[in-house]
Amino acid sequence: MTAILRHELKLNFKSLLIWSLSVGIMGFICILMYTSMEGEMADMAETFSNLGAFSEAFGMSTLSIATISGFFATEVGAVHGLGSAMFAALMATVLLSKEEDGHTGEFLYSLPVSRSSVVVAKILALISELVLFTLICGAFYAAGFIALGENIPGSEMTAFLLRMLMMNIEIAAVALVISAASARNRIGFGLGLSLIFYAYDLVGRVVPDMKDWLFLGPFSLANASEIFAGYELPGKAVVTAILVTGVSLAAVFGIYLKKDLAA
Amino acid sequence: MTDVIKIEKLTKSYGKKRGVSEVGLTVKEGEIYGFIGPNGAGKSTTIRSMLGFLNYEKGSISIFGKDSRKEHTEILKEVGYMPSEALFYPAMKVSEVIKFAADVRGMDCTKEAEMLCERLQLDTGKRIKELSLGNRKKVSIVCAMQHKPKLFVFDEPSSGLDPLMQNTFFSLIKEYVKEGTTCFLSTHVLSEVSRYCDRAAVMREGRLIKEDTVENLTESSIKNVKLYADGEHKEYMFDGNINELVKELAGKKIDNLYIEEPSLEDIFMHFYEGKEGK
Repeated sequence: MTAILRHELKLNFKSLLIWSLSVGIMGFICILMYTSMEGEMADMAETFSNLGAFSEAFGMSTLSIATISGFFATEVGAVHGLGSAMFAALMATVLLSKEEDGHTGEFLYSLPVSRSSVVVAKILALISELVLFTLICGAFYAAGFIALGENIPGSEMTAFLLRMLMMNIEIAAVALVISAASARNRIGFGLGLSLIFYAYDLVGRVVPDMKDWLFLGPFSLANASEIFAGYELPGKAVVTAILVTGVSLAAVFGIYLKKDLAA
Repeated sequence: MTDVIKIEKLTKSYGKKRGVSEVGLTVKEGEIYGFIGPNGAGKSTTIRSMLGFLNYEKGSISIFGKDSRKEHTEILKEVGYMPSEALFYPAMKVSEVIKFAADVRGMDCTKEAEMLCERLQLDTGKRIKELSLGNRKKVSIVCAMQHKPKLFVFDEPSSGLDPLMQNTFFSLIKEYVKEGTTCFLSTHVLSEVSRYCDRAAVMREGRLIKEDTVENLTESSIKNVKLYADGEHKEYMFDGNINELVKELAGKKIDNLYIEEPSLEDIFMHFYEGKEGK
């Protein structure tokens, strides 16, 4: 199993590097933009926080965009949330199906290793990649704060990154079901899935009647504005995330271990 | 001799599409067993069921006395498989693919792999995406042989290999078989069967229609008849009592007549076209 884990990490190294550097550098640039916008932000913050549903959707009613923490949560929160969700969905959607899509399954599964071991090794590799992605991005964000001469809000930043990681794992688990069921790489489905989750959260924060159902979407776990405003981890969202992840993984094993592998 | 592969009443369908039906065969230890049939006959379905890629509905497959479903991983430890399409991870180097296959097996096969690469003249420094089909086939051969398995399962192994490499490949098979390895060889190339196999099975439309020694298959009562009579030229396979054939020809004005032993190709064409009993 270790050989397959190593092999998977090696195969995905380039994608991990490209995505984590892209999202990390975008976040870093966003943070650096704070100084140039600081003066205007003070005037705009008041206006932004009174834009009703728009302010709610982007968390500007919770936190002042004029502070570095508020700016980070609003801007980088959106960049990291969407970027990491897309990365998680993309990697998970092709995790299993790529063996059939690339016709490498006959080679891999003719080696003396059970399908369940392959699935476990691949899931472990995926989780490792999501952790590495989070760490690399986190390092860029920390560098951004340091470059501005600001103190890094340690506990909020850690909570932000950890909760984003939880969200990514949940999204990856759902996308993995697509991968297990399909003999072709369904990248479009995976990316679409992450965008649907993002839109669900955005709409949920704008439409008052949907607020009570926000916990169903993975993005409710990691709302940056709530994290930096010191809100507690929403219990319902955590339970839902654990359930969704558990059921998805059970479905992955159920489907993949029984399916006929395409040549 | 012990049975290495024992397949009984194997049935596998793909929804409404036919896969294989009631296939049964036995491969004995140390033999080279040919598995022949046209495209879509069910050869690959049988092989893929043996190796656990497909879940079959009915029947049983036992390899080394082990149930192919329950002891799948144990079986694969002793098997070297070469798929018809030799496809690997394109960005990996040949040496990395070969090492990966050995690592998953938890074995150090460096020595054997080096010997095989040398015999097959395989450049291990190249990336898979830079290789031709023939060279990918060579990688597949090394991966299938480097751990010295007790059973080879080869699906169309020689396609893409040049004649010289085909020779080397079959020499390698014979060397391993001499040391006790059994070989299950699925092929279209009938000359390979007649030259290298001890026994063979013929598949047609998902069913196994004949299983026998290659010697018996070629020494059947089937005759290849070339008849020039009544201004016409007719060529056909005759399977039956030779006296019946003489009776059939008696009323004709014959210009020329050849009654020949059929080649292996003729016999298999006869099976493929479903002309048994003519």
